[in-house]
Amino acid sequence: MHVPASSGRIHLIVLIVLTLTIPFGIRLADAWHTPELSVPSYLPAIEAPRAREPFDADPIADLTRLNPGYVVIGDSMAGTRIDVPRFTQLAGRTVAPILSAGSGSAYWYLVLKNYVVASGIRPRAIFIFFRDTNLTDVTWRLDNHISLDRVAHDREEELNAVVAERIAGRWYRFEDVLERAYGAAHARPWMEPEIGTFVGEAMVPGRRRRAQFLDELNARLGLEHLRAMEAADMQAAEDRDADFRKYIDRSALPLMVREASTHGLTLCFVRVQRRPVGGRPPYQSPALQRYVHDLRAYIEAHGAMLRDDTGDSDLTLEMYEDGDHIAAASRRRYTEIFVNRLAPLFQRAGTR
Amino acid sequence: MIFHSLDFVLFFAAFTTLYWCLPHRAQNVLLFAGSYFFYGYVHPWFLILIASSTIVDYCAARGMERWPRRRLHFLWMSIVSNFGLLGFFKYFNFFAENVSHVLTAAGIPLGLPELRILLPVGISFYTFQAMSYTIDVYRGELHARRSLLDVAVFISFFPHLVAGPIQRASYLLPQVEHSRRFALDKARTGFALICWGFFKKLVVADNVGVIANRVFALADPSFPILWAGVFAFAIQIYADFSAYTDIARGTSRWLGFELTPNFEHPYLARSPSDFWRRWNISLSTWFRDYVYLPLGGSRTGGIAWARNVLVTFLLSGLWHGASWNYLLWGFYHGLLLVATRARSILRPAAEPPALPAAVVPLVAFARIAGMFVLTCIGWLLFRETQLSAIVRDFGLSPFAASALDRRTGLYLFLVALMYSLPLWMHSIAAESGARTEQPMRWPRLVLQGAACGLAFGAILVLRSRTSLDFIYFQF
Repeated sequence: MHVPASSGRIHLIVLIVLTLTIPFGIRLADAWHTPELSVPSYLPAIEAPRAREPFDADPIADLTRLNPGYVVIGDSMAGTRIDVPRFTQLAGRTVAPILSAGSGSAYWYLVLKNYVVASGIRPRAIFIFFRDTNLTDVTWRLDNHISLDRVAHDREEELNAVVAERIAGRWYRFEDVLERAYGAAHARPWMEPEIGTFVGEAMVPGRRRRAQFLDELNARLGLEHLRAMEAADMQAAEDRDADFRKYIDRSALPLMVREASTHGLTLCFVRVQRRPVGGRPPYQSPALQRYVHDLRAYIEAHGAMLRDDTGDSDLTLEMYEDGDHIAAASRRRYTEIFVNRLAPLFQRAGTR
Repeated sequence: MIFHSLDFVLFFAAFTTLYWCLPHRAQNVLLFAGSYFFYGYVHPWFLILIASSTIVDYCAARGMERWPRRRLHFLWMSIVSNFGLLGFFKYFNFFAENVSHVLTAAGIPLGLPELRILLPVGISFYTFQAMSYTIDVYRGELHARRSLLDVAVFISFFPHLVAGPIQRASYLLPQVEHSRRFALDKARTGFALICWGFFKKLVVADNVGVIANRVFALADPSFPILWAGVFAFAIQIYADFSAYTDIARGTSRWLGFELTPNFEHPYLARSPSDFWRRWNISLSTWFRDYVYLPLGGSRTGGIAWARNVLVTFLLSGLWHGASWNYLLWGFYHGLLLVATRARSILRPAAEPPALPAAVVPLVAFARIAGMFVLTCIGWLLFRETQLSAIVRDFGLSPFAASALDRRTGLYLFLVALMYSLPLWMHSIAAESGARTEQPMRWPRLVLQGAACGLAFGAILVLRSRTSLDFIYFQF
């Protein structure tokens, strides 16, 4: 079928123009929609406006008042390992733990920036506890809103940027512009669930009964009903995260070391040993070994320290409780080993 | 590089702009360079395989023409090298694992090594395409090309390199060799195809794929939940694979190429043979022309014909992956075809009874629904990789499910159905005659523009947060 060039050109232009202009209807639809009371998220790359917990400024005042010699940041890995009174006794200075169970590297970074740096204190060292690849996975435990909300300001541009880059790749800014132009970033959070909501409303009348049904449905399809992943698959999945060079620029680690460097703080990252297997440290895949090697090189090149518990023969299986947690009865012992292994750091800090 | 990434969008925009600034031969050089860049973007070592496959097939074809008496040797050289690559990367572990099992059962424990190596994406597609070239030259249906560049472009042409549709040398090579012009109407239809393809992938396939993945990850599915998951997978695999084809065809049109279609609304098929005329057409016809017909096709009749069909479909199943469930899937479809043919032989229809006009659509609907159910049974075999799980799944009773499971199954089914409505509407409209090529009039243009705009808008707000790879990448 022959199409004259002039009309063919017009047809093509009309098609492209319609394709690009019709989605502006999203803005119209969004304007008609009345969202629930919410505020813009500090991580707009992944979250719609939502109700949030307010920033908790109390720890800043506490830190200023306490002026600790050492600060410990982390999740339950730190919480189940460090015996604070014993640590204080051994180190000879006050220790301030800022811990939150179920927290990740985004939380640790915000604690460092918004609490430690903001308080103006100069501790001799700040310890950040982590497991394997957690430090370079900024998306890990981002859904722990309650913890994060309390340490995040209204805008956390740099954290949002690394989260976006980790999720959307290097072109996230382009996507961001596109989504903002069409109002998609704002409309998506309420438009996207509409299909599920529509079906839910058709099947189960009544808001409360529907909510109960969806809860039951989610539980029915929940983790405890899933097939056990085969060990090989799990290893493969873990190895995918153990790519330091791929993820370092899309993680909160560079932000942490920069904050420390800018404010003259000494950071010491502590990689905990996971639960030993058969009387030996857990298997370290070649990918994970490479990762830890690269991580150490990076951290040390940026003036910070890395303490790796893995392979420490004194950290035996008997010290562990559930999973990678240390039993309460062994916390004192762990703390002593910890201080002993880092003796040069404490001696150096003591002379300052 | 994957289509649904901004990397590709920017690559394609820059590539196309430069491409149309060049003369024909330079276009081919750019196509070759661009295709290799596209294919080696993540894993550059993949290029060694495609380059060696290209060189071997080029030399084999040239050898056949130069030494006609030895053309069979050259054909074997091509087949052995292509199947050697495919067999090593795709089937070695499957073979080693099963041999080990058999030997262990026979009291000879033999630990054959396991290859821990990434399957090169698209290897099944381009080796089959490359082989079609040498086989056609061997048969004398095509003459061997002198230009290695043209053969390399034919094998590596990036729009369809990793997931087809598989093109025949007799169809694509002339397009590589002849000068091309930018056709505005092709660009327009190509643009519409690309929009539709991205919509199918990002909005339909990835969203229903989340349902299918969750259901098939359950350790204890019940009947309604399982079949809701199978339905979701049926939608996912069609939307996903046909999306790739549409984007491949659309982008090809922007480069002055025309690829053959790969799908003709397969879920509106009314019989197994009808389904295979509509599903993955390029692979079906490849197997028909290079396996089924050389085996004797339907000329042999009776048992031999049934054997030919079953062998062809078993191989087709094996092509999809080195796993028993794919073999079962192929065998199942072969069996459906044999059963259909046997039924028509045993009960030859005389004149079809005249039905009242009002009943005809109902009968058509019943046949389509029946074939869709049969297709879904096949998808269960295809998706469920563990044989023990397949046995368990077929043992599930619809009456044993709890009320919650029944409601959960219905909910998942309806959500998948909602996402798939545009596909069904498109298929029904096309089958109703709306697809006939008509001159572009303004109302139709506006309608097409509105559809593309809605597709783009839906991508912006409804695309899945879980971005899944194209399913056929793994084959």
